[in-house]
Amino acid sequence: MSGLSVRDLQGWYGESQALHGMNFEVARGEVVTLLGRNGAGKTTTLRAIMGLLRKRSGEVRFGGENLIGRMPEYIARRGIAYCPEERGIFASLTVEENLFLPPVVAEGGMALDDIYTLFPNIAERRNSQGTKLSGGEQQMLAIARILRTGATLLLLDEPTEGLAPVIVQQIGTVIRKLKERGFTVLLVEQNVRFASRLADRHYVVEHGTVIDTLTAADVAGDFERIQNYLKV
Amino acid sequence: MTTPAGDNIIEARGLTKRFHGFSAVSGVDLDVRRHSIHALIGPNGAGKTTFFNLITKVLQPSEGTIRFNGEDITDESPARVARRGIVRSFQISAIFPRMTVAENVRIALQRPTGVSFRFWQSERTLSLLESRVDELLDAVGLLPLRDQTAAGLPYGRKRALELATTLALEPELLLLDEPTSGLGGEDVERISALIRQVAANRTILMVEHNLSVVARLADKITVLARGKVLAEGPYSDVSTDPRVIEAYIGGDE
Amino acid sequence: MMTLLGISPQLLFGQVLIGLINGVFYAMMSLGVAIIFGMLRIGNFVHGAQYMLGAFGAWYLMHLPDLFPGLGLPSLGYWWALILVPLAVGAIGAIMERLFIRRVYDLEHAYGLLLTVGLAMVIEGLFNVGYGAAGQQYDIPGSLRGGVNLGFMFLPNYRLWVIVAGISVCIATWYTIERTRLGAYLRAATENPDLVRAFGINVPRMLMLTYAFGVGLAGLAGVMAAPIYQVSPQMGQSIIITIFAVVVIGGMGSISGAIFTGLMLGMIEGLTKVFWPQASTTVIFVIMAIVLVFRPAGLFGKETVAAHAADMSTARPDGILENGRLWLVILGIGGAVLPFLVYPVFGMKILCLALFACAYNLIFGYVGLLAFGHAAFYGSSAYVAAYTAASWGFPTELAILSGVAMATLIGALFGWLAIRRQGLYFAMITLALAQLVYFYAIQAPWTHGEDGIQSVPRGYLFGFIDLSQPLNMYYFVLTVFLIGFAAIYRIVRSPFGQVLKSIRENEPRAVSLGYSTDRFKLIAFTLSAMLAGLAGGTKAIVFQIASLADLYFMTSADALLMTLIGGVGTLLGPVVGAVIVVTMQKEFATLGSWVIVVQGSAFVLCVLFLRKGVVGTLEDWLAARAERRRIASGGAPAPVAKGVHS
Repeated sequence: MSGLSVRDLQGWYGESQALHGMNFEVARGEVVTLLGRNGAGKTTTLRAIMGLLRKRSGEVRFGGENLIGRMPEYIARRGIAYCPEERGIFASLTVEENLFLPPVVAEGGMALDDIYTLFPNIAERRNSQGTKLSGGEQQMLAIARILRTGATLLLLDEPTEGLAPVIVQQIGTVIRKLKERGFTVLLVEQNVRFASRLADRHYVVEHGTVIDTLTAADVAGDFERIQNYLKV
Repeated sequence: MTTPAGDNIIEARGLTKRFHGFSAVSGVDLDVRRHSIHALIGPNGAGKTTFFNLITKVLQPSEGTIRFNGEDITDESPARVARRGIVRSFQISAIFPRMTVAENVRIALQRPTGVSFRFWQSERTLSLLESRVDELLDAVGLLPLRDQTAAGLPYGRKRALELATTLALEPELLLLDEPTSGLGGEDVERISALIRQVAANRTILMVEHNLSVVARLADKITVLARGKVLAEGPYSDVSTDPRVIEAYIGGDE
Repeated sequence: MMTLLGISPQLLFGQVLIGLINGVFYAMMSLGVAIIFGMLRIGNFVHGAQYMLGAFGAWYLMHLPDLFPGLGLPSLGYWWALILVPLAVGAIGAIMERLFIRRVYDLEHAYGLLLTVGLAMVIEGLFNVGYGAAGQQYDIPGSLRGGVNLGFMFLPNYRLWVIVAGISVCIATWYTIERTRLGAYLRAATENPDLVRAFGINVPRMLMLTYAFGVGLAGLAGVMAAPIYQVSPQMGQSIIITIFAVVVIGGMGSISGAIFTGLMLGMIEGLTKVFWPQASTTVIFVIMAIVLVFRPAGLFGKETVAAHAADMSTARPDGILENGRLWLVILGIGGAVLPFLVYPVFGMKILCLALFACAYNLIFGYVGLLAFGHAAFYGSSAYVAAYTAASWGFPTELAILSGVAMATLIGALFGWLAIRRQGLYFAMITLALAQLVYFYAIQAPWTHGEDGIQSVPRGYLFGFIDLSQPLNMYYFVLTVFLIGFAAIYRIVRSPFGQVLKSIRENEPRAVSLGYSTDRFKLIAFTLSAMLAGLAGGTKAIVFQIASLADLYFMTSADALLMTLIGGVGTLLGPVVGAVIVVTMQKEFATLGSWVIVVQGSAFVLCVLFLRKGVVGTLEDWLAARAERRRIASGGAPAPVAKGVHS
């Protein structure tokens, strides 16, 4: 398959090992989540895939090519787009500048009009400074700007974090539409209820490894099981 | 020592910190009881580390006041707050890498002695402190490694060294920022035991992700979410609070 | 015609105009420095040399037929130069980035500055070899000759052109960065380079192009300056320190801030020339000091996260080369024998500079602060010692002590100002403050300007030891050196020294333990200034002269170079470095300006290949050998402490 395949991915922050051999697959067109508590290694996994975590080993295959050892700019140009946890909206750029920042890496990206239809708020505020947006708008912008580029795999890190329920709902709608359009999505989440309504499959992460895999059907049948992994 | 004013060692009122218009911490009231272990938990981005930085004055609050033993410390410098007895540890082990293990602890012991500006004396005058250095290193199990360079220690041992250095100051209030982060199972046990051991006659405020550690150690838990206090109480209450579960797992859409 | 405060409008407007033209150059240059710093985090000291390259480039194009006779090349005039030279200088910049600057991105800021200082010395030294101090004439292009009479003053066309063109270039640059998509990449990469890379943008190439652009701006400024100032190898050296001061005043926060600050300071300088001519060379530096007191982040600077002291030390504290008691004896014996092997004067030069380097190492190596203005302490002490001995008839020891007192005083003041900022800023501020002292010495009557204070009597030590006897003088200097060396060893190995070490290794942690680290840094800085003053005062007596060279920034660079070659933060490094540098200067003395080229190359090579210095490398080798032997004799391998920035 020509999706993403991660094998025995290990990663380090300095001397502290954060990933202890992650294994998972994301097939083309799927929405897959990495679930887990704070500090389990979910964000680190995305950073390692993207090449932002330099000290890493194992295998990250995308479109058949192993991306371990590659620089972030190379990985991005293979068609992977990244939306970081802290959203990464550039304070010194306007909304529109933020939107146009990621270069087009392949054909088939979304047209600007489509993006503005999907995110009406962004269209309204296109000339404001990036950081003048509310948290929800910033999150929308962070997702919106990686849709233009033609990337087919989206890495979304906790898009619902710190957002009000109504916004969370909107983001859920957006991700569903992206799936319909054929995007492949790897989603990091703590909000299980949110994730359970979107994803085809869930990987539960703890201590830098995948400790369980659940299908959408598993979760629908037995929400307790997944809740037990994550509850307080 | 200042006389304790009531049972609370820390009283934060309306504490707020804004960055570029975004409030990382907004209007937090928090009381920390003397001689308790108090844990701060919450999802990523809840403002826990910012709150810590406000208490230790690494950051200046945008609004609100902080009282320590009844005295207003809102406008004091980080070093001054440390000298009052509020000492913190860091998320990433904060050691002096090219000093020996013993020197790491001694630099902390040296501070209250008032000799630190003496550039004309030999450092041998500090040998008075050696026995206390050894006591502290023994307490964290590092005595056999006392003359090694700190940089060469394994990660878990570095955390232990940092704790020994922090304890050397006899802090009234110990702030621990994710003391078990990045540690393996065995090290987590060792550090938790150590925390319990040093908690006697001391107040500890900790940020911690490992909930089993929190469940075992903390007398009281404050849950932060989106920069605000969401819930507060003992573990049994907090862990069953629907708002907390929602914050962690997500609510109904 | 009216007069204003007794000053004729011609003079007033004339000086404001000159000031405005200077301001245009300040703006263009500080714009380049600010862009480069913002993106690359490099304090581009070579910017002045690149500006000089621009001016020479224009001159070369003009003289193509003379330079390459027989090729039938045309003489390309000003307008060609205006286009071709910035491109060429920018291309040279791109090559420099690729070959040198790229290698230090991941290192401490200090290395970037050291590297560019070295590159500046090489380039300026080479031009000095080729053209000497004399300036070349570059004529104003025919189309811009003449001028307009404004009634109250005559405005030359070329100056009008410089003002209009310079400001337009600044505004265009501002527009490109703040308002275009290209600029958006730049701004984004300044904020969060990692994320920009994760979007698929080749940030390393962007860094190269940004550097080339900033350097190209300097080249353009150079072309525009060629008809106004003389085209000379020194033209960049004098402007770069002023530019650093401008950048400190404006703050790094905003592009428009850099432009505005440059223009404003040029005009203030011009006005000062009208009302108080003596102060005009120093006014920018005084403004910098005032701004630092009230707005440490600069006029337009945003609140910055405090950078911390950097550990650049290469010493292994328990190695045999760090045993101060042992080496005090060895150096004492070696020093006692030295005058029988070399000329005493040569020996004394080494001792004075070794003490100076040791004093410098105290702040750079042991505290981790990149000071770049120790010439101020060395030189001011030399002047005061020379003056009190020559004019007031102070006995030798008292004259030196007076010098030391002055150095200590200035050190405390400069330290108090500079400690507010760290990292690269600390270097820029100390450099600019030292330049203030230098300009003061050029102006003040008692320092005798270019001549300096000459024929300083060596006198009698304690009233009876005749120091005009070379050996007496030598052993006195040796004693002073050993006292200084011992003092530094004591400071480093004292309770105070322990705190310094902790600050260097992890400043936030030292603060969290309750140390007010700024106070420790200030005391260390003052002690370092005091000892540098001891070296400078002694030097004035030995060589019977205090001159501007003692205060010139190259003297600060010498201290840095000696420390770097020998080994930063090692006990013996500065001594070894002094021996190497002084010997080098002596051996190459006959080569004239090549000395600067050689020294600059030494800087570059040290930064790229010998960051641990001679002594640091030796200590590593000894430690590795001891470890091998220990393992060979059956010991378990000890966990090796990680080397610095390895």
